Amino acid sequence: MSKRTTGGLMAVLAFAGVSLSAGAQDPRMTPKLDNPSKAAVQAIVDSAKAQGVPTDPLLDKVKEGLARGADNAHIVAVVRNLSVELANAQRVLGANASADEIKAGAYALHAGVPAVELGKLKKESGRLRSLANAFTVMADIVSRGVPVGTATNAIRSLVGAGAKDKDINDFQQKVKVDIDQGAPPAAAAETRAKPAPVKPEDRE
Amino acid sequence: MEMIVEELQRPVVLDASFERRVMVRVRRFHAQNRARRGKLARVAASITHHPAWTAAIAASLVAVTTFGIMNGRLRTPAVSGAAIEPTRFVLVAPTAQSVSVVGDFNNWGLGDSALVATSNHGVWSVTAQVPAGVHRYAFVVNGKDWRADPTAPRSPGDDFGMPSSALVVEEGSK
Repeated sequence: MSKRTTGGLMAVLAFAGVSLSAGAQDPRMTPKLDNPSKAAVQAIVDSAKAQGVPTDPLLDKVKEGLARGADNAHIVAVVRNLSVELANAQRVLGANASADEIKAGAYALHAGVPAVELGKLKKESGRLRSLANAFTVMADIVSRGVPVGTATNAIRSLVGAGAKDKDINDFQQKVKVDIDQGAPPAAAAETRAKPAPVKPEDRE
Repeated sequence: MEMIVEELQRPVVLDASFERRVMVRVRRFHAQNRARRGKLARVAASITHHPAWTAAIAASLVAVTTFGIMNGRLRTPAVSGAAIEPTRFVLVAPTAQSVSVVGDFNNWGLGDSALVATSNHGVWSVTAQVPAGVHRYAFVVNGKDWRADPTAPRSPGDDFGMPSSALVVEEGSK
């Protein structure tokens, strides 16, 4: 092996060594659950799995709690509560619901939307339409003060009129701006959900 | 009007030398490319004929991959099988020193996986590859101040006393 080749090889290996030690000496330690909390979360996840409930949102919630510096007991309580909401969402949405719909449905339940309303909407909208976005917007406007009944009626009328996800997002943005500008939340949602008037020339 | 149409429909008569000039250019271009390819092939051959170089390249590939994995930069997406969509996150924070994006698509920033945004006069933005699906996320300003995205739906789930936003990424939506 020539001197030049040996030098090149040594430089590459030295770089590899630096890379490895740089990774190993990272001062940021990833926080972890203590053993009792880990066991509690595992039991919740196993139970969810046995019911066919999506478990990714539960594991994500643990990571979120750790990243936000929550204490272990709080994380376990939140994960337990979420597993109940996921199971309820799955029950009312039925076997055709996607994992995303169940996840968004669980957050809508958390916001205060009654389970029966989610079930009705799913039944009316048919198998092919994903309601993940509709549930997300429903939860958002309820959290901004729109009464639950008004919010579910608004979303139902939009979905029933064939509104696309983009239209539902536009509706959310407009309701948000109206509320930010001082409109009563219910009035904002009712008004923005009204279909545009039909032009006289379009009437039959 | 008819005159204009007639004029436009008339075939364009090209200079007799046009084709010859085009072909000269094409041949010259091919010759240059061939010469360039030959040069590259000679360099590649000299590398592949030396086992020491092969070992050096393999070692450097291992080093770079290990470095990337250990720093969370070659992390695989959180949701396997879902389509990945480029998603842009923007936050207006004129006085911020740093802004990053954390969410369930990047393990909430655990293990140095936060997406670091860049500032354009206080308008911070970063584009991330996010799997299609329902996600929750937040901005972290100056490393400690968690903020929801003011332009996105709120996420009403228990977010440990700090706000977060909801994001629905559809396949092929961007």
